[in-house]
Amino acid sequence: MKERLVKLQAEALSALQQSQDLKALQDVRVSILGKKGALTDIMKGMRELSAEERPAIGNLVNSLKDQFEAAFALRQSELQQKAIADKLAQENIDVTLPGRTVVPGNLHPVTLVSDEIVDIFSRLGFSVAEGPEIEQDFYNFEALNIPKDHPARDMQDTFYISDDLVLRTHTSPVQIRTMLQHQPPIRVIAPGTVYRRDSDLTHSPMFHQIEGFLVDERVTFGDLKGILTHFLKEFFGDRLEVRFRPSFFPFTEPSAEVDIACVICGGQGCRVCSGNGWLEILGCGMIDPAVFDAVNYDAEQYSGFAFGMGLERIAMLKYGVNDLRLFFENDLRFLKQF
Amino acid sequence: MIVTYNWLKEFVDFRYSPQELCDRLTMVGLEVDALEELGGKLDSVIVAQLDAVEPHPDADRLTVCQVNTGNAVVQVVCGATNHKSGDLIALAQPGTLLPGDFKIKKSKIRGQVSQGMLCSEKELGLSDEAAGIMILPPGLTLGQPAFEALGLKDFQIEIGLTPNRPDCLSVVGVAREVAALCDEPLQLPTRQIKESHKPIEQQAAVRIDNADGCPRYAARMIDGITIGPSPDWMVRRLQAVGMRSINNVVDVTNYVMMELGHPLHAFDYRFLEEGRIVVKSAQEGERFTTLDEQEHCLTADDLMICDGQRAVALAGVMGGLNSEVQDDTRTVLLEAAYFKPTSIRRTSKRHGLHTESSHRFERGADIDMIPVALDRAASLIAELSGGQVLDGVIDTYPRKLEPLVIELQHQKVVDLLDVPVDSETIRTLLESIGLEVRAGSSVESLAVTIPSFRPDIEREVDLIEEVARLYGYERIPVTMPVGTVDAVLPPKRQKLQQQLRQLMVKTGFSEAMNYSFIAPDAVGKMGLDSNDERLSAIRIMNPLSEDQAVMRTTHVPSLLETVVRNINYRSFDLRLFELRPVFLTQAEHDACQETLTLTAVMSGRRAPEGWCQSTAAVDFYDLKAVVEEITEQTRLADISFDAGHSQNYFHPGKSCCVKAGEQIVGYLGELHPQVLAQFSIDQPVYLFELDVEKLILLAGSCAKFQPLSRFPDVIRDSALLLDDEIQAAQILEIVKRSKLKSVDNVTLFDLYTGQGIPAGKKSLAIRVRYRDLEKTLTEEEVSKSHDKLIRSLSQQLGAEIR
Repeated sequence: MKERLVKLQAEALSALQQSQDLKALQDVRVSILGKKGALTDIMKGMRELSAEERPAIGNLVNSLKDQFEAAFALRQSELQQKAIADKLAQENIDVTLPGRTVVPGNLHPVTLVSDEIVDIFSRLGFSVAEGPEIEQDFYNFEALNIPKDHPARDMQDTFYISDDLVLRTHTSPVQIRTMLQHQPPIRVIAPGTVYRRDSDLTHSPMFHQIEGFLVDERVTFGDLKGILTHFLKEFFGDRLEVRFRPSFFPFTEPSAEVDIACVICGGQGCRVCSGNGWLEILGCGMIDPAVFDAVNYDAEQYSGFAFGMGLERIAMLKYGVNDLRLFFENDLRFLKQF
Repeated sequence: MIVTYNWLKEFVDFRYSPQELCDRLTMVGLEVDALEELGGKLDSVIVAQLDAVEPHPDADRLTVCQVNTGNAVVQVVCGATNHKSGDLIALAQPGTLLPGDFKIKKSKIRGQVSQGMLCSEKELGLSDEAAGIMILPPGLTLGQPAFEALGLKDFQIEIGLTPNRPDCLSVVGVAREVAALCDEPLQLPTRQIKESHKPIEQQAAVRIDNADGCPRYAARMIDGITIGPSPDWMVRRLQAVGMRSINNVVDVTNYVMMELGHPLHAFDYRFLEEGRIVVKSAQEGERFTTLDEQEHCLTADDLMICDGQRAVALAGVMGGLNSEVQDDTRTVLLEAAYFKPTSIRRTSKRHGLHTESSHRFERGADIDMIPVALDRAASLIAELSGGQVLDGVIDTYPRKLEPLVIELQHQKVVDLLDVPVDSETIRTLLESIGLEVRAGSSVESLAVTIPSFRPDIEREVDLIEEVARLYGYERIPVTMPVGTVDAVLPPKRQKLQQQLRQLMVKTGFSEAMNYSFIAPDAVGKMGLDSNDERLSAIRIMNPLSEDQAVMRTTHVPSLLETVVRNINYRSFDLRLFELRPVFLTQAEHDACQETLTLTAVMSGRRAPEGWCQSTAAVDFYDLKAVVEEITEQTRLADISFDAGHSQNYFHPGKSCCVKAGEQIVGYLGELHPQVLAQFSIDQPVYLFELDVEKLILLAGSCAKFQPLSRFPDVIRDSALLLDDEIQAAQILEIVKRSKLKSVDNVTLFDLYTGQGIPAGKKSLAIRVRYRDLEKTLTEEEVSKSHDKLIRSLSQQLGAEIR
């Protein structure tokens, strides 16, 4: 009996090891522990053993059963792992195929640049204002210290709707409209569409500007430099070189043009900066007292500054676009890049 | 305005290199647009001598020259006839790039080697003289660059002048700024004049009838002159600053204008009736021919220079054809005057005549420069044309203009600029540009006398600008403004625009920006009713072209053109939107109304081409989903889609309006095939347009929380057999009106027509989810509700259960 058990132990454990799938493994289990299994047979034969033999053989049977169960569980786990691994091995896909997706659209680069600039100024306490695109001569010119018959009108070629209505040539009329409605202190940023009667490689008859202004007591030219330097560094990068140089706008005095070191060549001189290393980026100045007069602000009490810049130009520099016309052709191959 | 480096040097002794000079001018407010070396790329054009000139053996008109360059003798074939052995000439050596991108190469001409070219003045860009080669004066060193040897090396400096600086429309004016920069004195040209004994008063007289338009008019006369070409130095200088040489009298007037900034005019004295000058307004309708042979119809607003009988010049703008200097002119009357800027500007604009003269007068000439310019020009004319200046000047200056004196408060400068500049520094800065500074009425102020050449300085703040500019913007500190501000403007409008843009992008649309002006006939292609207000667009008085002549009343034509452009570029799957105003006339107010409008087009496939993507084309419901997303996200209340109200440019069976309550806020649908045909588009295009102004008014504020049920749901599906014309909205409306309180939601999940469904009918399956907030629903409760709902549907819509 004992020999049978030892032999059965060896055979059973070997059979478990040789099982190559879960079904075969189950069959082994049935052949040992099933109703007609080998071990079951032996246990049925226990009755016929003497009382002296029975405990020893009983222990042996139990030990064999435990060993078998443990080996079974181990082998079962091995085969399960293997089955999963085999299944996964069949399921390779090409991960380089493009994903299945709803493709979102893209905002126009001018909108993106405008939003970014508005965002920077919002954090400096500026609120957004808008104004009409068909504007009265008073707001577009007269109130901005550009009287009729003044050569400064030549600075902006104008589309006329009537003698008194123009397509606004700049976003500066928003200054006037806002100041007529609100008292200082005031900080406003005004993006918008503007029009000039000019069309060639570097001029579009419709383009976009963003205007900003700040009026308060004791605002200085240094504050103007501070705000704009901060803005330009945040927009173009912290190490950007900025310079202010004298210029002329009828509605500011003193007036300045702001140049930044060419973002294309880093100031070395290239085609984009006409070789001089600087790019004209915006116009600005301290608001002219004549403008304050037009909106009934007390020029003795208040001072302020205003600035304006062309959004297409900034977008061209930021994204490296080399042709202004692309902004208005609305070619999806262009729009999809931003 | 163009000046040259060497010309500036005549008036101020500066030591800047050309580039440094340009940088400094730019930083003081005279922005240099271009710096160009005259003859700069022509250093390989050298002085050489002709050792021998022989006829070409195989060509009658050519010569073969042996040319001595100083260290070699080279052979050059030349086609000119004016040269001979021993002449010094300008040799362009192989490799030289002459003006006009003409590259000199070593070549063979009719079998003879030619190692360069003997240049004419024209080929070197020096003049229009092309008849022969340029023979150089004797005594020059062989091998030296020719421009250098001839003293022609100079630098052209082009300044982009702002309109407030008429004082810098001259070499002397720019030199004044340079003098201030380098702290050297400005040396004006010496005023010496030799006069004959013939007094001018016996020959000529001047009378000003319109002293408002012409406060000062001065004249000199020069007789005994011979008209001829100007000397080379003058021709080249004029050329260097962009002017063409005419003759030795006209050139002097131009030369002095460029030098001193004051426009002058020379009349042929023979043609001045009665030897008189009268300055007066034109007769309305009078005709006058300027010396460019253009006839103008004058108005009473035009100021004229007349003689005893008739007009001889359009004052300050251009002389008349009837009195211009001619080849046989012997005596000239030279005019130097001051005209009122606005009057000159109006005349110049009205007649489309923009001249060097009008440009200066309309910006403000220097009234005190008149006698200086007159003397300078008169003596130059006498010198160059062999004439004599008559004795005396006629200077009619009825009301002498007193110089303006402005008080400048020291503290104002400090406050506005935030710089610690003292009074003494301010004085020095202002004096450096020719302003006269004295002590002001208080200890803290200065009294500044403004010279006549700076008409732009009128107020204290103008002086502060001068101080800032001369002190240097780079020295002003960088500070941040202090103080608090109120957020002054309601942000709803901006927020909604931003929200709409983001929604559009999220649903796959890219943002387009089209011009606001379109062709007048573009809207006509939409098939609108003839009385549609969109057909009467606002017109631009001076459009760039007829294609851009009216303001668009709708985005539809521009977006369809965008669709066409993209299809031409082989992009067929299109989703584009514009969020910009349209412009309508308000007839009753005679005003313009700008309506912010969102218009979107959709065409092509639903999903981009791909290995696993659906290739189905977009349809009405793809478009409608976008509109629904917008109405939901903007929380518009009571939205409905009404096929009864659409627009002519849509497919009549596949379009509708969107209503919020009773208000129409937009339209959507498939575009009418005839409209698409007008734009040559042969794929279906879906379009919606929303009136954003209305959305701004109607948009809801924010989401309202709905409580969540903690109890299980029960779902009932029913397939309803309905007449074809029953709309889905009617079913949903009945569900809504039945007010069954435990209905959680209703979905329409299957629409079927075809086999098994009678003609004129359709099968629509609805799924109702029942769920109560307070308890678990029993089967009986759900059945009761659902049966009631089905009963309502069959009673009101004739629905049958399939």
